[in-house]
Amino acid sequence: MSLRKTLAILLSKIINRISILLGKQGVTFCGKLALKLCPDILRDLSSQVREGIFVTCGTNGKTTTNNMLNSFLKSEGKKTVCNMTGSNMLNGVVAAFVLSASLGGKLDADYAVIEIDEASTLRVFPHFKPDYMLLTNLFRDQLDRYGEIDITIDILLRALELCPDCKIIANADDVLCASLAKKSGHDFITFGINEPCKANPASTSEIREGAFCQFCGERLDYDFYHFSQLGSYHCPKCGYKRPLINYNATDISLKNGLSFKVVGSDNNERALSSNYRGFYNIYNILAAFSAASETGLELKNIDAILKSFKPENGRMESFKIGECNVLLNLAKNPAGFNQNISAVMEDDSPKDLVVVINDNAQDGKDISWLWDVDFERFSGANVKSIIVSGLRAYDMELRFKYSDIKAKAVINIEDGIKELLTGHTNNLYVLVNYTALYNTRKWLKSMED
Amino acid sequence: MNIRIGHLYPDLLNLYGDRGNIRCMMKRLSWRGIDAELVEYKLNDKVNFNDCDIFLLGGGSDREQKLVCKELSSIKKDFKKYVEDMGVVIAICGGYQLLGAYYQMDDESVEGLELVDLYTVQGEGRLIGNITIKSDLFDMPITGFENHGGRTTLGEGVTPLGKVVNGFGNDGNSGYEGVIYKNVIGTYLHGPLLPKNPQVCDYILAKSLSKKYGKDIILDPLDDSAEDRANNYSQALN
Repeated sequence: MSLRKTLAILLSKIINRISILLGKQGVTFCGKLALKLCPDILRDLSSQVREGIFVTCGTNGKTTTNNMLNSFLKSEGKKTVCNMTGSNMLNGVVAAFVLSASLGGKLDADYAVIEIDEASTLRVFPHFKPDYMLLTNLFRDQLDRYGEIDITIDILLRALELCPDCKIIANADDVLCASLAKKSGHDFITFGINEPCKANPASTSEIREGAFCQFCGERLDYDFYHFSQLGSYHCPKCGYKRPLINYNATDISLKNGLSFKVVGSDNNERALSSNYRGFYNIYNILAAFSAASETGLELKNIDAILKSFKPENGRMESFKIGECNVLLNLAKNPAGFNQNISAVMEDDSPKDLVVVINDNAQDGKDISWLWDVDFERFSGANVKSIIVSGLRAYDMELRFKYSDIKAKAVINIEDGIKELLTGHTNNLYVLVNYTALYNTRKWLKSMED
Repeated sequence: MNIRIGHLYPDLLNLYGDRGNIRCMMKRLSWRGIDAELVEYKLNDKVNFNDCDIFLLGGGSDREQKLVCKELSSIKKDFKKYVEDMGVVIAICGGYQLLGAYYQMDDESVEGLELVDLYTVQGEGRLIGNITIKSDLFDMPITGFENHGGRTTLGEGVTPLGKVVNGFGNDGNSGYEGVIYKNVIGTYLHGPLLPKNPQVCDYILAKSLSKKYGKDIILDPLDDSAEDRANNYSQALN
């Protein structure tokens, strides 16, 4: 064992500890440093994983799905490595492995459960070849970083060429995921929702990706949509259609959390219920369940996990500040935002709303996507007052103005939230995009104490 | 009064919030008591250029632009007549490129509508970032975001929309951005373009009303304080 490896692990652990004490995010820096000191470290540590490496990719739901899969495997007594904080570029992935290793350079893990930013797959896969890739969905996101959604698909296809034995677990309802799985030539299985869901009427005006066949260019026919482009599709020209669903969610209820049945292609049934909210979370649970099932584990303990789940990381996370119930949720692209609006509308009591929009590099500097979100739907959501905040508060103010919805701009996020904490409905929704999440969550947490 | 806005191929060319441009035009008409109607033309729909007073051609990915390209040859002649008769067109990003003779990509060339004397060639890397330009037509600078791999060259004597204040513009070198020809505006600026640049929106609306009703129409002023705030903020970005 090399001295550089020990040094890399030791320094990373020290820096991580200091960062935690200072209340800062130091994970990606740890990874960067470890890789600098010992370029082979990720290859070395990941090769010690005993049973399998899962990677989770896709625009929305990566962190939720990946962390849930991790909990499922742990509940079966498996030891795992997981980048739970959502640091999903190369350095974040390295840090997850390094911080789980012993100073002697040993990693004690049955599974690695790693979410990876799509654009980073090409940088990560030279270090390890995943056994499974879980593909949640592909929506437009952060266009100035990726160029276009076609480029993301192309990157994933190239990354998959690096790991020919990787099995794909794809969302069948998303034509972009399913087409990608087929195009790659890899083994794949699918999850999805076979029938229209009465509890979740789809919005008609949403922007939908991939309206045209990825194989022949013809316009696809849809029998129905669940949301965005997710639904049942077929190509009238070349005959491409939604693949057979291996893990199908049926009997869906959105009352008091989520409950549904998963019917496997082997006709096995499994009822699942959770205290998650939001229709889109059905896909996240279904994805994690499908992936976990592929291990052949019995999954006897997952009901308790789903029922006792307490959202963290600002995904539908609730806070109690004085008399006010605050619900914080990340919304970083049109598909995510539209689903957030649906989740807010599932609550018909009076409420207030703060929308925070930043345009830092990780958010995407281009904020034109705000106009692809159906903010108009808030006018029917019993929202009493709205404050817009963050670096692009004025753009968001304008977005509401052109929806004939009154909103006030307060650039400072804490000031914006404070205005609605008292003397209003005591039912406050805070929707933030990526870079606003960490500090807003930290501040809400501090206000709770 | 009433204005019909035709949105060309929103199912393919809708990459950068172009619905915001449509929404902006519709609202600024209706806030002034002018009826506004939207007609969406999807791929394979028949386009009758007499049916609308404004046409919007938005941006799509390179792949989607290739798909649209086939369709465009069928409307080329009618579209040309509409433009020469002072019909109003707003073309953004990919749509702007399609106004010209061609868009030469690395592997193939997409034939354009040949409505305006310009052409586009794919360059090394994409030109991405916030951008502000100054046009002689408006007191307010025009501000937004650009993201394009193509470099556009205007023909001899063709008027650009404005001078680049910060950002890349048509090709990253010339110092100019966009094009204005008769009542056609083409530009790489999205963000979307019109909500933050209400003077551009009102210019388009006034041109279309004046043409339709055969007299100079001056629009009532609106309270644009929110628009001004967003415009000012965006100008300060690099």
